[in-house]
Amino acid sequence: MSRQDGKAGQDVLRRVGEASVLILISLADGPKHGYALIQDIKELADVELGPGTLYGALDRLERLGLIESLPADDRRHPYRITAPGAAALRVHLDSLERVSAAGRLRLQLGGI
Amino acid sequence: MDDSRAARLVEVVLRCYPARWRRRHGAEAAELGVLLIRDGTPVGAIAWSYLAGAVREWLTPRSGWRATAVACALLVAACSLGASAELLASAGPARAASTSQAHRPARCRPGSLSLEAVPGVMHAMSHPQLLIWEAGHGWSC
Repeated sequence: MSRQDGKAGQDVLRRVGEASVLILISLADGPKHGYALIQDIKELADVELGPGTLYGALDRLERLGLIESLPADDRRHPYRITAPGAAALRVHLDSLERVSAAGRLRLQLGGI
Repeated sequence: MDDSRAARLVEVVLRCYPARWRRRHGAEAAELGVLLIRDGTPVGAIAWSYLAGAVREWLTPRSGWRATAVACALLVAACSLGASAELLASAGPARAASTSQAHRPARCRPGSLSLEAVPGVMHAMSHPQLLIWEAGHGWSC
């Protein structure tokens, strides 16, 4: 059973760190292995993820049941986002959107 | 530094990870290191990232470790309680002897409980453990 069960609507990604969120976003359009993830995240967010950070985040996300490892292709393990992972990402992005909208509104009101 | 030496350095750094991690990610991580070096990523940055990752990996508690930690905490707590009980037990008879022997009421019978009649019991009221010990020995009517 996934640790996400029973946590619908809760932003479980708030505490996992930026790298984990970027990995989930990168996996949202299909499975990728480590090197492809690093390349994609560099293009997507202009963030150079170190390989040590990458594997730490992958392990954490896998433990949380948000991603799963697919059978190895040669030496490379592709990873895939799970249904709870997609749901958690959706909740997190919604939350970021609300905060972002509030921030923009306040900047407008403040006339800065 | 040429590519082969750089790759070797990455492999050396990867040995800092726990064996469990190396079994799972080792080969892929070494290959990823080589690919990143070919892309122009500085070897130092890769090695440093893996080194920091290895430290984090060693420091991250596993579920098994957590169970062991809980077991150890329970053991320590049990030992502390045992030591406290032992101290109380060794302090109890001496205190009881100095109070109960001198002031033991003549008409002390089971069921005739009079706390005021036994000064030691009133003192023990502020130390519930003493009261329990004395009650357990039957003569603190």
